[in-house]
Amino acid sequence: MTTSTGALADRLRHLLGPDRLLEGDLARSLYSHDGSIVGGACGLVALPETTDEVAACMRLAHEAGVDVIPRGSGTGLTGGAVPLDGGLVMSLARMREMGDVDVANSCVWVQPGVLNLDVSTAVAHLGLHYAPDPSSQQACSIGGNVGTNAGGPHCLAYGVTVQHVLGVEMVRPDGEVVVLGGVAPDPPGYDLRGLVVGAEGTVGIVTRVLLRLTPLPPDVRTMLLDFLSVTEASAVVQAIIAAGVIPAALEMMDRNMTMAVEEFVHAGLPTDAAALLLVEVDGTAAEVDTATAVVERVARTHGVRTVRVAQDEDERALLWKARKTAFGAVARVKPSYYLHDCVVPRTRLVEVMAAIGEITAREGVMCLNVFHAGDGNLHPIIALDRSDPDETERAMRAGDQIVRACVALGGTLSGEHGIGVEKRDYMPLVFDHDDLAAQACVRRAFDPDGRMNPDKILPTGTRCGEVGLADTQVPEGTWI
Amino acid sequence: MSTGWMPGLPAPTRDDLNTCVQCGLCLPSCPTFRITGLETSSPRGRIAAMRAVQAGEATVTGDFTRFTDECLACRACEAACPSSVPYGRLIEAARVQTEAARPAPERLMRRAGIAGIMGHRRMVRLAGAGLAVAQALRLDRLLPRHLRLATPRVTLRGMRMALPATSGEGPTAMLLTGCVMDIAFRPVHRATIDALVRAGYRAVVPGAGGCCGALAAHAGELDSARALARARIAELESADVIVVDSAGCSAHMRTYGHLLADDPAWATRAQAVAAAVRDAVEIDAPPGRPVDGRVAVHDACHHLHAQGIGAEVRRTLRAAGATCVDLGDGGRCCGAGGIYNVLEPEIAEDLGAQKAHAIIATGAPVVAVANPGCAIQIRNHLRALGSDIDVRHPLEIVD
Repeated sequence: MTTSTGALADRLRHLLGPDRLLEGDLARSLYSHDGSIVGGACGLVALPETTDEVAACMRLAHEAGVDVIPRGSGTGLTGGAVPLDGGLVMSLARMREMGDVDVANSCVWVQPGVLNLDVSTAVAHLGLHYAPDPSSQQACSIGGNVGTNAGGPHCLAYGVTVQHVLGVEMVRPDGEVVVLGGVAPDPPGYDLRGLVVGAEGTVGIVTRVLLRLTPLPPDVRTMLLDFLSVTEASAVVQAIIAAGVIPAALEMMDRNMTMAVEEFVHAGLPTDAAALLLVEVDGTAAEVDTATAVVERVARTHGVRTVRVAQDEDERALLWKARKTAFGAVARVKPSYYLHDCVVPRTRLVEVMAAIGEITAREGVMCLNVFHAGDGNLHPIIALDRSDPDETERAMRAGDQIVRACVALGGTLSGEHGIGVEKRDYMPLVFDHDDLAAQACVRRAFDPDGRMNPDKILPTGTRCGEVGLADTQVPEGTWI
Repeated sequence: MSTGWMPGLPAPTRDDLNTCVQCGLCLPSCPTFRITGLETSSPRGRIAAMRAVQAGEATVTGDFTRFTDECLACRACEAACPSSVPYGRLIEAARVQTEAARPAPERLMRRAGIAGIMGHRRMVRLAGAGLAVAQALRLDRLLPRHLRLATPRVTLRGMRMALPATSGEGPTAMLLTGCVMDIAFRPVHRATIDALVRAGYRAVVPGAGGCCGALAAHAGELDSARALARARIAELESADVIVVDSAGCSAHMRTYGHLLADDPAWATRAQAVAAAVRDAVEIDAPPGRPVDGRVAVHDACHHLHAQGIGAEVRRTLRAAGATCVDLGDGGRCCGAGGIYNVLEPEIAEDLGAQKAHAIIATGAPVVAVANPGCAIQIRNHLRALGSDIDVRHPLEIVD
């Protein structure tokens, strides 16, 4: 679909100027990647600054019949922003304006290139924050968060992106601008806003987002629990919630990960522990005291070795830095990593952790685990050197088996990273052909030509109308 | 597999490039990315470009040169990087390559400026005198705006300001007199000597003196940088400590061991000198006078990111009773970047104006700046905005 990029380039250059249309080979190659190991080929890169410019670019691409691939900060882990076969990459990194905060309704309109953490920083003086906090929050954009329906450690208690997006302004593939949702709590008709969140740029380009802002909790306490067995730590996760406490965050890190991270943050993490749990509780001072006591009591009955409570904001920030820089710290072990973000029901954590251990040992690959234990959202990171074809092959095999093991335990493919390219071909594990064809119909209703971020989410060849080709492959009791 | 690097020259190594996993956590820390929003002006993008050359998919000319030229080498990305990618080392090696690949006339101009003038103390002083006369006659108004913003204020009197050859008693501390510092910032040298005496050193100003080679190294002119390093080592190695009152120079001199590692005659001497380097704010001298009120603190990238120095500046000021006010911009680069403001004026101007606004917003009458490049850039941008906030080295403020 890239035959007309030459003529399109001329028109886009006229629209945006030469500085905001990248055409050189080297520049385009830098936009052929994101934070994943997926690589592609980029045709052109446009950097619009306003909704009108996005709409104009989309009209031109529509007329030229060229594919469009939206991109935020390019921190995604599934290849969602990677152009697989040419096309126009629309980088929204220059759309960085925040509107005025609507204090009465606790919300704010922002452009998609605004960074997640910058929102919370900008509204902190009002006693508010933007609750979803992906580990990459210092770098990832709101547009990318909307595309993937991003999660984060605090989404256990606060909910994921879709619960914090009240409305979106979106440019449709033909250039039409629409506004979906808004300040009113329950707009009539179908919840198209909800459909756009998590659609990974396959239904249009989001150009403004109305974010819900959440009051900062009056009190917060962060604890680090360490265990001599992964099984005990996994059991504690379930026990804490069964005891009636929903922590603001409940994260697990295994020994391999702890060792890599400690080398960077020097947070005094016990590198001899088999697993660490980072537990944060928030609320009023009394609620925090009660919850802390419950967490400690449950941990002690499950063989916790030590309980460390952060004594001040600096210590708390250090513990969180350890958690949030974990992925990048993997480079201390190997130059690349491959990971999935499967979800399993919390009650199956013990079994899935054992399965991951067995699979990675059998394939002889190093696995580092750091994940949102509270909602069963795993991140088994397989460290690899891509210049070693044998190791790469074993890593891919291990990843594949982990996904299948999670699904067999009643889990699903992705908690927050999205499907992108990485997990696209696993979709038949959890959906039968009828389900996939129905989703293709939804997509086609928004994008009849199939030009928006093509070959993402749905397996190649999935077509609207192709129904009833195979029996369901969803295992009984699948938790989606 | 053949790479796109020019043979026979230092180049970014495969091992160093492999430390990056493209997570992108560096992006928001990069001042040029913050301005342009372009992957091509981000640390991750520049590393990806180096990888493309490494893989033989690109050459070190054209766009590659443009992307690397745009980097301030502020190294703010290193602090943000969870994998500890040695970005400073990568960009310096990349610049050795781009310099060698530059067209001859352009290269000659840069060489004349960096090695020809900065490398020779007489040339530096001659250039300084020329500038002083031009400024006295107000001929500098004829310069293009970006060159005026990058030029220090120089007077013939300031250039002749006497510095005592030796002062005080105690272990010997030798001062790097430098190049730009020597012609435009002798009062800082004076304050540093006073601080050394207060701290119990015998402060020695070496006879000839000269440039440490940082500007040459940052521009990829490694031969010039090595020659200057050898000259400074010979001049300063007899001292117990070597005191440097310019953040860019102290950061660079601490890498002498790395710079001359392959030179058997100099490697050990270079390591010894690097280990003896102290930035002037690390002396821990008692204050020379009390300071009331607020002092805005600018962290030079070559302090904060290259050496992890930040608390020392504040401790020095607080010891004199000053109230330190941070700029609230996360230590973002002011855009000076050695001679970046001459070579990449547009980005430098944006960053300089942002920094000046942040300083004005503190309401402090004086800003502490411990690097000559930053001091020039910040002073000129403050004046351009009509602000008369004083720009001083922290040791001058407490002298």
